[in-house]
Amino acid sequence: MMISEFQQQYANRHEIANQWKKEGKKIFGCFCGYVPEELIDAAGIIPVRILGSLDKIVMADKHLQSFICAFGRSCLDLGLRGVYDYLDGIVTSKTCDIMRNMPGIWSRNIDTPFSAYISAPTKRTESARECLLQEFKIFKTNMEKFIGKKIDDDAINKSIQAYNTKRKLLSELSAVRLQDNSPVSGSDFYDIVRAGFVIPTDKYIEMLTSLKDNLASSKPSKNGDIRLLVSGSTFEDVNIMTMIEQAGGKVVCDDLCVGSRYYSDLVEPVKDPLRALADRYQMRVTCPCKHPSEERVQKVAAQVKEHNIKGVILIVQKFCDGHLFEVPYMRNLMEENDVPFLYLETEDRLGEEGQFKTRVQAFIEMLQ
Amino acid sequence: MSEKKPKQKRLQTAETLGKLMVDYYTEAALIKSQKKPVAWLTSVAPVEICYAMDVFPVYPENYATACATKKLSAEFCAEAETRGFSADICSYALNNFGSLFLDKGPFMGKGLPEPDILIATQHACLSMAKWWEELSRYFNIPLYVVDASVPIGGDISSYHVKYFADQLEELSQFVEEHTKNKFDMDKFKQVLEYSDEASKLFLEVADLRKTVPSPVSPVEMFTNMFPLVTLAGKKESVDFYKEFLSEVKQLADKKVPAVPNEKYRLIWDMFPVWHNLGLFKYMEEKGGVVVGDVYATAFGGSIDVSRPFEGLAERYVGNPLLSYGVNEQINLYKQIIKDFSIDGIVFHSNRSCRMASMGQYDIKQGIFEDLGIPGAIFESDFVDPRSYSDEYVKDILDAFFEILESKK
Repeated sequence: MMISEFQQQYANRHEIANQWKKEGKKIFGCFCGYVPEELIDAAGIIPVRILGSLDKIVMADKHLQSFICAFGRSCLDLGLRGVYDYLDGIVTSKTCDIMRNMPGIWSRNIDTPFSAYISAPTKRTESARECLLQEFKIFKTNMEKFIGKKIDDDAINKSIQAYNTKRKLLSELSAVRLQDNSPVSGSDFYDIVRAGFVIPTDKYIEMLTSLKDNLASSKPSKNGDIRLLVSGSTFEDVNIMTMIEQAGGKVVCDDLCVGSRYYSDLVEPVKDPLRALADRYQMRVTCPCKHPSEERVQKVAAQVKEHNIKGVILIVQKFCDGHLFEVPYMRNLMEENDVPFLYLETEDRLGEEGQFKTRVQAFIEMLQ
Repeated sequence: MSEKKPKQKRLQTAETLGKLMVDYYTEAALIKSQKKPVAWLTSVAPVEICYAMDVFPVYPENYATACATKKLSAEFCAEAETRGFSADICSYALNNFGSLFLDKGPFMGKGLPEPDILIATQHACLSMAKWWEELSRYFNIPLYVVDASVPIGGDISSYHVKYFADQLEELSQFVEEHTKNKFDMDKFKQVLEYSDEASKLFLEVADLRKTVPSPVSPVEMFTNMFPLVTLAGKKESVDFYKEFLSEVKQLADKKVPAVPNEKYRLIWDMFPVWHNLGLFKYMEEKGGVVVGDVYATAFGGSIDVSRPFEGLAERYVGNPLLSYGVNEQINLYKQIIKDFSIDGIVFHSNRSCRMASMGQYDIKQGIFEDLGIPGAIFESDFVDPRSYSDEYVKDILDAFFEILESKK
């Protein structure tokens, strides 16, 4: 198994999904990492992540203002263009204001048979978890109505196990990234994680296992040697990571939606599998939309120490309120810890690469 | 909401409002010397708990509107940007940060009295909690976030209410712990009664705008929100709205128009442009009078005082602004269009508020398709005048009035 196969799966994800559709499979699109994919999987439905693209945004401009993030506009644009017509449903979990408003706009303009909005609480408390548990119950009941059969606990437990395996394998692979002369670069890893959002879990686990076995005999990737951590919001353009590595950086660690935020924390088994899921999804604060959010930034600082990181690059989607409010805090915390820090703001498709490149090169030169 | 008074005081109530605001901000200026605890609250945060516990509530958002009308907000926002905050975050927040850094403000030249505790919600928008987290780090004081789980377009269930109500109770403990002021259930109930009554009276005034011509102007409605938000739970607020209601009712009975030559009755979608309330006047000169909105009325809503925490939770969680998707908003507007004899809608697409702005294009289009009622959308910012272009906004409004004219 080669990394290029992951990249290919992602590049062809819509064709592949359309093929599943022809085979009679049901597919749900999930808007973010707080959607409990395990439950969808247990219903016999393939969960895929709704992501944007680098295409020019054409149709979404009639619905969303220019001050809505490029990620949100791009996702809706693909939906309006029919790219996501294979979806039988969309599922959103409350994080930011964009995610909150998206389902209403999507459903009004795009004919997707099923839609669920999980009003996930923001806080990491017992009562918030109770509330999420109720939301999951309703979500489960609505899916049962949609598929016309019950989703039993065994099926949920089985899916939980599969997803735990998937997340564990990603953690192990991430650890490989930390080694000197690692055969997996930061951009490779980004591609691998992202591909996992659109490949059915059983197949993805096979791919990861096979990749892991091959890695022992693989050559080190040709990236630089300045150890970096990349943090930030979701962004579509993996070229940013590649460019950082070509400039002499080595992304060995991340705090990204397409990264550690996805696979950190497993579901701890308890008797009621829904409660086990609510535990995982409510009691972790990996997104700045959740409160209190200092812990996430503190964790970045801790990782810098633990993994001998030389600098932190924060990449934020323009108009992403959750991250934007925390930029001064993160910058100050890094300064207090004597950690060099670079802030980049992206709109995914403004050809900003040239400008970024100069800044990234200067940053890495400073670290050398 | 602003301190700016109409040039000609058409309503007696404007005098009373002026006095209430002077009293409030004078108390605010002296509060630290009185050793009374101060809480900073986001909008739609449960201020009733503060009044019940003798904690002085301060609203940086309301304050931002005052800074905007006093033409201070551009300087404050710019200052926050030089300190590393993105120009793309909410200008209410930028205004607040800038005013803090400069220790400057519109009342006696000073900023707001420093908080002892912070209370925020996250269900009106994400930015509020993020802003308050930053304040909590800045002042190094405790923050309580009252979180809500609110379905979009669906029904509120008992567990949604319970989640919020449990936190209200926890919040009262939080306030006790950090201010040493005791929570008193009887006082709380009294506060809720006042809050409930004030909001009912306010909604009655809002309802009187169904009268043609409207007896009350949008600037009068928006500025008279101050007691509803800031003094919710105080007797003064109830007295004020009694006076406001009786005055507007008399005008309605006598069919005295708030604006001469009312020709087109309009809905205003969401926030006023606080730094340019003159826009309402611009429309009024063309015969356009705003008689409907969901912004002001969303601060109302009744409370079942017999179940204090649950009753208050139901009011906050049930706020339609926060639980409606585009389709529900379209239906709400269609009802307002019918009840208030509306001719058109003006949408302020506010760069600062993604929560309120997202969906405006669909709402505009949906209403036009279903009822043939036209809408106009312009982009601006509610507090930061640097994002405002007068020619551009007026061009859009002019074109809109031509459409209205052609339909009459």
